[in-house]
Parts: sequence; C-alpha cells; structure tokens
Amino acid sequence: MLEVRNLTKFFGGLAAVRDVSFEVRRGQIFGFIGPNGAGKTTLFNMIAGTYKPTSGQVLSCGRNITGYPSFRLVHEGIARTHQVVRPFRAMTVLDNVRVGAHFGRQGGDHKSAADRAMDALREVGLHHLTDSSAHVLSVGNQKKLEVARALATDPELLLCDEICGGLTRAETDAMLDLLRQIRDRGTTIMYVEHDVRAITAVCDRILVLNYGKKLSEGTPNEIQLDPAVIEAYLGAAPKGWNGKEVSEGTPEKVQNDPADIETYPGASAPRAKTGTDDE
Amino acid sequence: MTGARLRIFLPPIALLGVLLLLPAFGIQPNAVRLLFVTFVWMTASIAWNLLGGFAGQVSFGFAVFYGVGAYAAAILIDGGRLNPYLALVAAGMTAAIASVLIGLPTFRLRGPYFAIATIGVSETVRVVATNLEFTGGASGYRITEPRPFNQAEHYYTALIVAALAFAVSLFISRHKFGLGLIAINQDEDAAADTGVNPFVYKLKAHAVAAFLTGVAGGVFARYAAFIHPNGVFGFPISVQILLMPVIGGLGTVWGPVIGGVVIGVIEEEIVAYFPQVHLLIYGLLLIVIVLFEPGGILGAIRRLQRWVRRIRDRQAGKRTADARSKKPDEVLWGAGSGPGR
Ligand SMILES: Nc1ncnc2c1ncn2[C@@H]1O[C@H](COP(=O)(O)OP(=O)(O)OP(=O)(O)O)[C@@H](O)[C@H]1O
Ligand SMILES: [Mg+2]
Repeated sequence: MLEVRNLTKFFGGLAAVRDVSFEVRRGQIFGFIGPNGAGKTTLFNMIAGTYKPTSGQVLSCGRNITGYPSFRLVHEGIARTHQVVRPFRAMTVLDNVRVGAHFGRQGGDHKSAADRAMDALREVGLHHLTDSSAHVLSVGNQKKLEVARALATDPELLLCDEICGGLTRAETDAMLDLLRQIRDRGTTIMYVEHDVRAITAVCDRILVLNYGKKLSEGTPNEIQLDPAVIEAYLGAAPKGWNGKEVSEGTPEKVQNDPADIETYPGASAPRAKTGTDDE
Repeated sequence: MTGARLRIFLPPIALLGVLLLLPAFGIQPNAVRLLFVTFVWMTASIAWNLLGGFAGQVSFGFAVFYGVGAYAAAILIDGGRLNPYLALVAAGMTAAIASVLIGLPTFRLRGPYFAIATIGVSETVRVVATNLEFTGGASGYRITEPRPFNQAEHYYTALIVAALAFAVSLFISRHKFGLGLIAINQDEDAAADTGVNPFVYKLKAHAVAAFLTGVAGGVFARYAAFIHPNGVFGFPISVQILLMPVIGGLGTVWGPVIGGVVIGVIEEEIVAYFPQVHLLIYGLLLIVIVLFEPGGILGAIRRLQRWVRRIRDRQAGKRTADARSKKPDEVLWGAGSGPGR
C-alpha cells in the first residue's frame, strides 16, 4: 500500500536518509530500527509530509504522493505520532483528539466527530482522563494521546515514532498489544523503536537503517541472523563501553540479558517515569 | 446540558436586551456617544481576538481594515449615494479582500516575523492612502448624508454590529473552526499533522476578522462624518485594537468585550480631559498584564474567585479540588471553572 523509492534527504552536506527503498503491504506492522541519528525520524518526516525529500518518491497505492503537505496526507489516510510528544498543551485530552476527528479523513459534524474522538480515547485507554489538560499527563499518557489523536483522523497507515520510549516494560507491552489491535482491525502501521525486543515482538517485517542507508530488511528472524545487522547494531551490545565482554549468545539471548540491557544504550531497560497522572 | 447552554447564551442575550431598551429611557447624549464608541471598539476587539487570540497570530496591522472599511463606506455613501447599510456590508467585504491580499504573503511567516510584517504593510497602506487622489489625500474625506443626523440610529447600528461580532466569536469558539484555530495557536505543525490546513485557516480567520473590523471602521466614519488617513490608518489604531483583547483576556469570548469597554471609556472620558495621558495608561496596563496576569482582567477575576473559594473551603474544612481540568466554558471566561460555581 505504501512504496518508497530511493528516498533521500540532505541537510546541507549531511545525508540523513540516502537512497532508501521499501514497500509496506496492507495489514503489516513494518518496523524500523537503527542507532541514534540513523535517519528514522527523517524518513517518517518525509513520508508524513513534514519535510520534502531531496529526491526519491513516495507512492500510496501506486499514486505519487511525494512532497504533499502533511494535512493533505492526513486526508489521504496517512497519520503520524511524534517522537517528542507534541500535544496541544492547553487543550483538554478530549479536545486534542477531537481535532483529529474533526479534521481527519472523515471530518464531519460536531456530534459524530466527538463520538469518534471518544472511541479513539477508549481504544488507547485514556477515556478516564478526557477533561484533563494535556500538559499534566505523564509521558506515557502523552504518548498514548499522540496515538489517539492520530487514530482519530481515521488513518489507513499509521506512523508511530518511538511511542514506547520512556515507558516501563509493562506499559510497553500494553502499547504493543494496542498496536496489534490497531493492525488487526485494518490499519497498516509503520513503527520506529529503539527497543529491539519490542520491535521484534510486534513487527511482521523490519528495516534496519544505519547512517541514513538501508542496511537490511526482512522478517524479525532474518534480521536477527543477518551478519551485517549483528555487526552494525546488535553486535555492539555484547561489548560494554569499557571494551569488556558482557555476555555472548544468540540475539534473542543477548537481548534479554539484564547486563546488556544496562550497557547497551536505548535498549529496553525501564526508564524513570516523569510527570504525574491526573487520576 | 440545558443548564450549561443557559449559562452560555443567557448573559449576552440579557445584556443585548438591556442595551436595546436603554435609549428608550432617555439617557444623556454623552452617554449614548460613550456607548457608541465602546461598541465600535468592541467590534474591532472581538474581531482581532479571532485571529490573535484564538489562532495566536499577533497582527499590528488591523488599522488597515479599519481604515479601508472607513474609506469604503465613506466613498460609497458620499460619492456613490449607496444605502448606508449596504455600504457597511461593502466596507466589510473590501476589508476582507484586503486581508486576503495581505495574508497570502504574510502568513508564510511565523510568530514575531508575521507581527513585524503586518507593521510594514500597515504603514505602507497609510502612506499610500495619504497620497491618493480619490480619497482626498492627507486632508481627509468629508461624508454628507441626505438624511439628518440621528444619534439613536448610530447607536443601534453600532450595537447590532458589536452583537453580531460577539455572536460570530461565540459560534466560532464552539465549533470546528475555533478548534482548528486553537490547535494552530498551540502547535501549528502538530495541527497540520492532525489534518488542519494552517495557511487556509489563518486566511479565513483573517478575513472574518477584517470584515468585522471594516464594518466597525465604516460605522465610525458615518458617525464622525469626517475621516483622514493618519487617523483611521494610524498605527495607534492598530495598537489599541490589539490592546483590548490583551487587557480583557486573550483567546476568550468575553475578554475582548471587557477590553472594549475599558478602551472605550478611556478614549471617551480620559482623552477628552487629559490628552496623551491615555498612552501612559495603556503602557502601564500592558506592563501590569504582561508581568502579573497574562490572562488579562478575566484572568484576574478568575484568580480572585479561586482565592475566595479556597478561603471559604478552608473555613468549611474542605479540601480544595485541584483546578487542573478545563471546563467546557473556559473559552468563554478564561482559565478556571465556571462563574459562580
Ligand atoms: N531538521 C534538521 N536539520 C538538520 N539536521 C537534521 C534535522 N533533522 C535531523 N537531522 C540530522 O539527520 C540525522 C538523522 O536524524 P533522525 O532524527 O532522522 O535520526 P533518528 O534515527 O530518528 O534518531 P533517534 O533514534 O535519535 O530518534 C541526524 O544526524 C540529525 O542530526
Ligand atoms: Mg528519531
């Protein structure tokens, strides 16, 4: 349903994304991993219309949608969340999501849009906080709000950028269940996450980015066995910063080793929750 | 639900009723004049708030619409012999067209850059108007109407126009349009990522605001019967229009109304006796608001209410509920919970 051909983005002399091609099929959860600065967010920004690509094409169901502005892509059925959350801070949680319902693909009148906003809030589990100001939510709930707001636009393709960053393990698992649920009722998902465990658990297919280039693509199993990926990404994990070997084993074993989780930056170690919930 | 509706719609309707009946009780011509001027300012204040308060696009250029409206009405009534009420509608539409022409380039800019651009446009228009032939240039334009001057007619015209502006503002605040504007105000990029077309929405809000401001300019021109470019196109007009919602309560429905009353009274009562002192008062008001109460007068009232309630609750031994959540009528009255609750 979405095809990306030779997509490239330069910031000055820096190629943030270079010559990346792939195809996302309907009903998939398509994952993207790669170290910090690999170009994942930049790739999303080009697909969602925030940046215009330097070159290359984005096709939706065969139609060229390269360089469309973001609001138009929302109407085409492509919605995104933000890695650094961007709620409408002074609005209530419900109003945040109502913006998506009113201005999304269906749009529509007051009542039905408000209903759709409530549905989206219920789906992510924020319906008990509808009247809170968005800025008093915890980071975890702000991430959920990002998902709800995007969902309310009624997307065919949902781009999720690190919606589990900063969440505890239990919260992450709940979020992954939510992604599966969204996929199962017909929305295709593109999903960026640092947490390799989360990505491999939920994705049908994964693309590995490194220095803006496509390093590898395949099913979670194929990716984990790809020597180039192990070398560039997972391969960094067994060695601690002091150069000593922390642990060794299959990718699966290494990922779940607490010593690695502590050493390897961006792995799934639960991070401290910030902010408070208004419950 | 009906209770909430009543609380929203009853106060403005009651107020309008009182103001409609007021002249029948034979009030002083001076008081009528004060109210007339207040309604004209209030209209521009409510209009500016649509763009500056709801959408967060601070313009220093509303004198353009006020002036264009004033001149369009003046020329159509005096030269064109048009029905004055049709002329007022035409004045608003002329201003709205001007707003689109100004908005197309300036809305590509954001924040302070937009504000600065509006100053440039506004000054350019003033200089051009000063040098145009058919407007009478710097010496101004005199309007003679075939009908004799009737103060009550002007009073009602201004009142209806202000009421219309209020109704538009209230409607927008309660519908999709207002939601989109507030989203743009909060985070323009996130709004676009959620399906709002910020550019078109800003243009629309600008046009509605310009229409209302243009009508206000026309209403004033008819009353004054004489206008000149440095008056209606002057930078002080832009600043005063902007000050009213800021003083009253930015981004609320009632704030610009309150601000309009404040400026109306200052303009009519203080400027007459102490010319120039009003500038000092504006400066002081602005400093106080920026430093102590960004919510303006409404914000201060809400703060006071919360304070009183807290003391009362403490005396009653209750724990004060946290005022974090936003009630639906916040957009009417500013942050906090509803009035009298
Ligand atoms: N607006 C911008 N201007 C200049 N450089 C940018 C801009 N956005 C991103 N970059 C650069 O492009 C590269 C890719 O950044 P990007 O944010 O896409 O990485 P990422 O894979 O999302 O990283 P992370 O895992 O930290 O989120 C980085 O070197 C970054 O500094
Ligand atoms: Mg990123």
